[in-house]
Amino acid sequence: MEKKFGIRDLITVGVFTALYFVVTFVVACLGFVPIFMVLMPLIGPIFNGIPLMLYFSKIKHFGMITVTSIIIAILMFITGHPYPIFIFCIVAGLITEFVLRAGKYESIKLCVVGSATFSLWLLGMVIAFFFSYRESYFASLVDGYGQEYVDTMMSYTPDWVFFTMILMCLVGGLIGGLLGAKVLKKHFRKAGMI
Amino acid sequence: MEMGLKPSTAKGVFRLDPRTKLALLITVGIIMMSGKYTGVEYTLRLICICVPFILLLSVRLYKSAVIAAVLLLATVLCEGFIIPKTSGLVNLLIMIVCGVISRFGPGYLCGWYVVRSTSVSEFVTAMERMHFPNVITIPMSVMFRYFPTLKEEYASIHDAMKMREIGQSIKNPFTHVEYILVPIMMSTVQIANDLSAASLTKGLGTGRKRTHICNIGLTPVDVGLIVIMTGMLALFFIF
Repeated sequence: MEKKFGIRDLITVGVFTALYFVVTFVVACLGFVPIFMVLMPLIGPIFNGIPLMLYFSKIKHFGMITVTSIIIAILMFITGHPYPIFIFCIVAGLITEFVLRAGKYESIKLCVVGSATFSLWLLGMVIAFFFSYRESYFASLVDGYGQEYVDTMMSYTPDWVFFTMILMCLVGGLIGGLLGAKVLKKHFRKAGMI
Repeated sequence: MEMGLKPSTAKGVFRLDPRTKLALLITVGIIMMSGKYTGVEYTLRLICICVPFILLLSVRLYKSAVIAAVLLLATVLCEGFIIPKTSGLVNLLIMIVCGVISRFGPGYLCGWYVVRSTSVSEFVTAMERMHFPNVITIPMSVMFRYFPTLKEEYASIHDAMKMREIGQSIKNPFTHVEYILVPIMMSTVQIANDLSAASLTKGLGTGRKRTHICNIGLTPVDVGLIVIMTGMLALFFIF
């Protein structure tokens, strides 16, 4: 094992970020049905938790998760999400970084916690529905998505839902992390891959 | 650092600089993702759906280009003329179907084009010219390299499952996800190892300045396109 943060780590970051992004993208496509949009912070991390846990088990150095979160932010921005996504991604990435570091990148329990904190970046995708963005964002949606859709969305998303979503992210992340840990134990540890 | 990506296929037709491709991707992504169905923005959307068509033609994916064009045109016209006339549940249904296709489709197609037409070497060089740090450039180039592989892996897994009649009926979604995700994750680990070995062999880890023989640079076509894209984005944000 290399001592320093090296090229090997960057390649691991690339491959796993790709996998993570694809899973996120598939789940996000569900988000078009209004009720799924609200539940996405819960459903997303559950599915994402599985590849994420494998990724965490490969992490040995500080900084890899931050890089992942920055790349996700860039890709999300390119695919048309508003700029606050950068703040959310980087903050979530850094928190996770420190959580994993606390366990010296080996503790499975802290990996599960990390899976929960990392999924907080999803809030960056939905922030536009809430607070000061809310009025202007929905106004801009009326022409794009039609009044019916906007009304449905609005009825699902009063401000307090945002705080529920934080909770949903964390709970979803925990469930996903536990599932991931189970899958790792069942398939990967036996095969000697981690 | 040619890590198995298709070498540039856009011979003769027209060859764009990776930076131009990025500009196209961002513009199409933003306009299609959050554009409205009326006025100036609708016109911009109509222009935007032509972009993937032309791009796919230029890499000789004729069939996909035609299918994409017909589908996208149909959904966008649907958005412009049918949605305002309907209401209630029908409206919501059409909205969702059209929305998924027209919002994600063009961005996905442009992304596909970028992956098809850019060699890893070209991509890394372009990123270097834009002064992106290596920490971001290398993972991103690995991702570009990995997306097509992921698609192939998924197709193989799908075939294997079909052959053994697994997952025909989805009883337990989690088992289903597990059947698909676990093999993909296994191969992901394998690919990560292979790529690291390959890149070490190619001397990526030495920390010296990278050399390259690929020929990238902004031609008048590139400059023109970037100006047009910037103009479109400006129009988009003003209205």
